[in-house]
Amino acid sequence: MYDALLACCRWLENTTWGVTVRGSAWMYPFVEWIHFSGLSVWLATSLSVDLRLMGLSKQRQTAAEISQSLFAWNWIGFCVAFLGGFLLFSADATTYVSNTAFRLKLGLLTPLALFWHVVVQQKTASWGKIENTPAIGKWAGLIEFLLWISVVSAAVEFLVTNAVAHP
Amino acid sequence: MWEALQHTGWATTLATTRWLYALVSVAHYFTIFLFVGTILLVNLRILGLAARNQPLLSFVEQLQPWTLIGLGIALVSGFLLFATEAGDFAAATPFRFKILIISLAIIFSVAVQRNVSNWDRAPAIPVKAKLLALISMVLWLGAILVGIEIAALTGFG
Repeated sequence: MYDALLACCRWLENTTWGVTVRGSAWMYPFVEWIHFSGLSVWLATSLSVDLRLMGLSKQRQTAAEISQSLFAWNWIGFCVAFLGGFLLFSADATTYVSNTAFRLKLGLLTPLALFWHVVVQQKTASWGKIENTPAIGKWAGLIEFLLWISVVSAAVEFLVTNAVAHP
Repeated sequence: MWEALQHTGWATTLATTRWLYALVSVAHYFTIFLFVGTILLVNLRILGLAARNQPLLSFVEQLQPWTLIGLGIALVSGFLLFATEAGDFAAATPFRFKILIISLAIIFSVAVQRNVSNWDRAPAIPVKAKLLALISMVLWLGAILVGIEIAALTGFG
C-alpha cells in the first residue's frame, strides 16, 4: 500500500511540473507565494463567517449574508491555494509523504477541515439568517476555526523540522 | 545592538525550545494569512470585485478589528522570531527589504482606512480609491513574497 503511494509520489516528482518547480531557484518560492496568497483569501473568507457565527464580529450583516457575499472568493482562494499546494507537493512528493507532520496535515487535518467547512457553509444559510446565531452555529464556527489552526500548525511543524533543500 | 538582542535569555530560550519556536511560528503564519486576507478582501471590495452587494463601510467595519488583531499578533510574533537570529536578519538585505515593504503596505492600508467612510458616502467609489486599493494589494502580496524569499535566499528562519 505504502509502496504504491511512494510510486505515485515518484511519478509526480518526475512530471514536467514537478521537475520544473524542484529545479528552479526562483520558481519554488514563487509557487509557495501562490499557495500562501490563495490561503490568505481562503482563510479570511472562511474565518470571517466563523467569527460572525461565534458572535465575535460586529453585527452589520448576518452570517448568512457574509457567507453568501464571500462565497465566490472563498472558492477562488481555495483553487489558488490548491494549485500552489499541488505544485509544491509534486516537487518533493516522496519527502512530504514520509514526514509525519505532513501526513497528518494532508491526510487527515485538511480533508477534515475542508469537509467541516462545506458543512458550515451549507448550514450557515439557515443558522446565520438571524442576528444571534444558535449555539450549534457558534460551536460549528469555533470547530472550523480550530481545525484550520491545526492544519497550519501541522504545516509549520513540517517546515520547522524538515525544510526542503532547494537550489 | 542586534547581537545583544539575539543573546538575551528569552531570545536564546525561544531559539532553542523547539515547541515554543513552532508555536510562535504558527501564530505568525496564521495571523498573517488572516489579516492580509481581510485587507485583500477590503481592497477587492473597493475595486468592485468582491461582495458588491455589501455596503463598503459596514463590510470594512466587520473585518477591521480582525485586521488589527491579526497585524498586532503578526508583528509581535515576527519580532520574537527576528530576535532569535537578530544579528543575521538585521544584516540581510532581503530582510531589510521586507521591513520596508511592510512599512509601505501599512501606510497605504492606513490611507485606505481613513478614506473608507468618505468613499462609502460618495455615489460611486472614486478612481483614486481603486488606485490606492490596487497599490495596497500589490504591497501586501509583495510582503508575503519577500517573507518567503528571505528563507529561500538566506537560509535564516
